Amino acid sequence: MLHSQLRLAVMAILMNVEEADFVYLKEKTQSTAGNLSVQLDKLSEAGYIKVEKSFVGKKTHTACRILPAGRKAFESYVQALKDYIG
Amino acid sequence: MKEKTLTEKESIEIISRMIQETKEGMREGSGNMFLLWGYVSTIVSLIIYFGYNATGYSNIFWLWWLIPVIGWPAMIYMLKRKKKRVVTYVDKVIGYIWTVLGVCAMLVPIFSFTQHAGTFPILFIEALLINIGVTMTGLVIKYKLLIASGFIGIIFSFILLFVHGLSCILVFAAMFVILMIIPGHALNVASKKSKKYGLCSES
Repeated sequence: MLHSQLRLAVMAILMNVEEADFVYLKEKTQSTAGNLSVQLDKLSEAGYIKVEKSFVGKKTHTACRILPAGRKAFESYVQALKDYIG
Repeated sequence: MKEKTLTEKESIEIISRMIQETKEGMREGSGNMFLLWGYVSTIVSLIIYFGYNATGYSNIFWLWWLIPVIGWPAMIYMLKRKKKRVVTYVDKVIGYIWTVLGVCAMLVPIFSFTQHAGTFPILFIEALLINIGVTMTGLVIKYKLLIASGFIGIIFSFILLFVHGLSCILVFAAMFVILMIIPGHALNVASKKSKKYGLCSES
């Protein structure tokens, strides 16, 4: 699941912050809205992140935060990288 | 950034780059909360000081409640009006500090009603609580001016124990200028500068 450029980037960001919104993630990962949306759905379906949609005034606001399963998966992924590098 | 399978080296590069991306810059409008509470507290204090001097009407002291009555709704409005794009652990820690201190600051005047009104050092306790919050916020965000004004404010708080009569209200008002208004404006100027140089994350 994490061995993909955009999903890994999103997870790395969410590991470092409490919560980030869609626009912030799009800007930091330099991805397209469509691609980011698809990858967020995949991470959400895997139970790695929680995506919350709300309204601020008339605009929609999509906030993402990492879940314990996602945190664990990311740590395992980093550990696997460490083991590979030796 | 596109969807593609990665090599191990690319994975490490992405993780490092994203960690760098999320490093905190000064956030735009960081000083707004300090300005809100600073101005409200200073203006209310001065109204009470000059109002009592002019009229001698002791019920004017009920106007202290204007600080939370104006401050809390205005703060909630400001927080809701512009939702933060990113919430960091630093934001959360600062939020916890001010929530705890805010609750204590509300409980102190309520509790003071059960005491002898003239002897309870309410301004000292309120000032000390606020100064602790300012100093801790400065330490957490590593902003020297806020740390310095917080410590100066702590000294001001203790001065309040030795100042008697209406003068303590003037000291209280001056404290808010040094403690919140000056650092609040300085924070906003600093955040504008860091935005100009690309170090700022908008809130």
